Amino acid sequence: MVEVLSEVADLIAGSIPPMIPLVLAGVGEIIAERSGVVNIGIEGTMLLSALTSGVTAYYTGNLALAITVGLVTGALLGALHALLGVLLRGDQIVIGVGVNLFAYGMSVVTLVYMWGTYGNSPQLPTLPKIYVCCYPISTLLPVSVAISLLSWYVLFRTKWGLMIRACGEDPKAAEAMGVNVMRVRSIATVVGGMLAGLAGSHLSLDWVGQFTKEITAGRGFIALANVVFSKWNPINALLGGFIFGFFESLAIYLSVVSLNPSMAYLFKIVPYVATLAVVTVFMRKAKIPPALGKPYIKE
Amino acid sequence: MLREYLQFVLEVIGSVLAGFSVAALIMSLMGFDPLKGLYLITLGGLSDPDYLLSRSSLIMMTGLAFSVPALASAFNIGGEGQMYVGGLVALAVSLYSPNPLLPLASGALAGGLVGLVIGALRAYREVNEVITAIMMNWTFYYLSIYLITTYLYNPLAPYRSVSVPEGSRLSTIDLSGVKLHVSFLVSIALALVAYFLVYHTKLGYEIRVSGLSRRSAVYAGINPRRTFTLSMALGGVFGGFSGALNVIGFTYYMDQLLTSMYGMGFDGIGVALMGRNNPIGIILSSIFFSMLLLGGQRMQVSMNVPKELTDALSGVIIISLAMPYAYRMLISYLRVRKVGRGAE
Repeated sequence: MVEVLSEVADLIAGSIPPMIPLVLAGVGEIIAERSGVVNIGIEGTMLLSALTSGVTAYYTGNLALAITVGLVTGALLGALHALLGVLLRGDQIVIGVGVNLFAYGMSVVTLVYMWGTYGNSPQLPTLPKIYVCCYPISTLLPVSVAISLLSWYVLFRTKWGLMIRACGEDPKAAEAMGVNVMRVRSIATVVGGMLAGLAGSHLSLDWVGQFTKEITAGRGFIALANVVFSKWNPINALLGGFIFGFFESLAIYLSVVSLNPSMAYLFKIVPYVATLAVVTVFMRKAKIPPALGKPYIKE
Repeated sequence: MLREYLQFVLEVIGSVLAGFSVAALIMSLMGFDPLKGLYLITLGGLSDPDYLLSRSSLIMMTGLAFSVPALASAFNIGGEGQMYVGGLVALAVSLYSPNPLLPLASGALAGGLVGLVIGALRAYREVNEVITAIMMNWTFYYLSIYLITTYLYNPLAPYRSVSVPEGSRLSTIDLSGVKLHVSFLVSIALALVAYFLVYHTKLGYEIRVSGLSRRSAVYAGINPRRTFTLSMALGGVFGGFSGALNVIGFTYYMDQLLTSMYGMGFDGIGVALMGRNNPIGIILSSIFFSMLLLGGQRMQVSMNVPKELTDALSGVIIISLAMPYAYRMLISYLRVRKVGRGAE
């Protein structure tokens, strides 16, 4: 009985590292989507931020600087998406696909250039852990919780949040009320990019402890699924992140228990199939921001 | 009409220039000779034109996998997963049926089934097709690796699957000196079929109408949900066919990490966008992208720059092709300046 309990505790503690990027990137995307901008390039943003913060940590050993570089990388990619997708009215989905492809190519080229390998970087310095009942817990867990609570407060209890939501609900009405739709959407997209960047830094500097090729492995898209699951509410994103993270923890647990390397490949599909199943069940009840992904054309 | 063509040419030139500038910038930052690199990327693949054309057939098919649904405004980013499934099913079927036709057809159908599921989930349950497709891509990636390493592995070379029997393979034919791969001819034929389907059949018309305006489609008695699902299934057929063609026509086996296919589904998105979702345009743009891909490999061999640089390059091309409005603004800006100068 004690053994079972301790395994359950392991599974739950193991859900926390995969949960963090899904919460951070998910909350960032919620902010952007509430303003009417869809950014599927968060996958590539996470990948590039994981890379830039990893490289910074490798050369300077300064983790605060590394996290800042990751945030700046995310902000720059968010700004690019805002420039192309909001101001120049490009197709937001296609831009996202392009950003993801660019990020993939760029990350492999840099991996080879920096460390001469197509696989993974050497060990990187990692963020300190907090110990709760002798389980090491990521420092970014309380940070993620604080960010989602704060985002909820801003989105639903402040004038700023009202402006953001108005841009996603009915941009024309927002403009008529004196809201600068382009500006609000751009800021929301940059903030979303920054949070995806933090999620990326978590991957290389907190969870894995190295940069590996395609370290994101579709997590940006699971974060998008989390947006849908949480009905564009940052507090629900905590629960969603935990659920999706749990399946990833389960996949890792199963492959460790089975001791069979080819079965491990089979278990790797668990988080993807589970995500698909959860989204299929919950999507029906979701209410999408009406102006999502549609360019705003000022008359 | 002329203006439309002008804008299109400007878009293609602009996006290629943007891609090449970024690639050159990356190379010079990393201390490689950017001119030599760009030379190899563009012209390196041309040293073997027969092979270049043959390989273009694979991304021509993934291009169609994206563009047929795109005409119904369905976003098929799942060409990658459909391709894995198509390759795997074709390989498995070829072991039992020693002819190329049945494996190719079953691979295409399997891909179509994946597309159908993605489309139906969106059309009838409002599940975003982008999320579904990416989840399916990863699922089928690991599922294929599992099946290859567990059931289809080659006892003599465990890193890869068993081989396609001789009788099921497609190879080159000699057309008065030009050694073309059969798969190139098959793909051209399929692209023409796609053209006919999209522009000269009832289904194609319904696909295009519901892509342009869902409301008009409903008024015209078209069921947009059904059309959306069918367009996605058709896209899946092309995606699956690409994978089947890869296995039956080129590699004759699947390696453990799917390296011979990996990424071609996403290359197809660039092909489709540059070809303006028109099957004839896709034939041409697939040859262009095939040139970049082979050139990238040439560059990797002779300069040690990873061939993934071409992925970054295509990424920039895709981003630049996403913005027709920006080019329209540029044209009208140039025109205003011209008019302004004339008035002085």
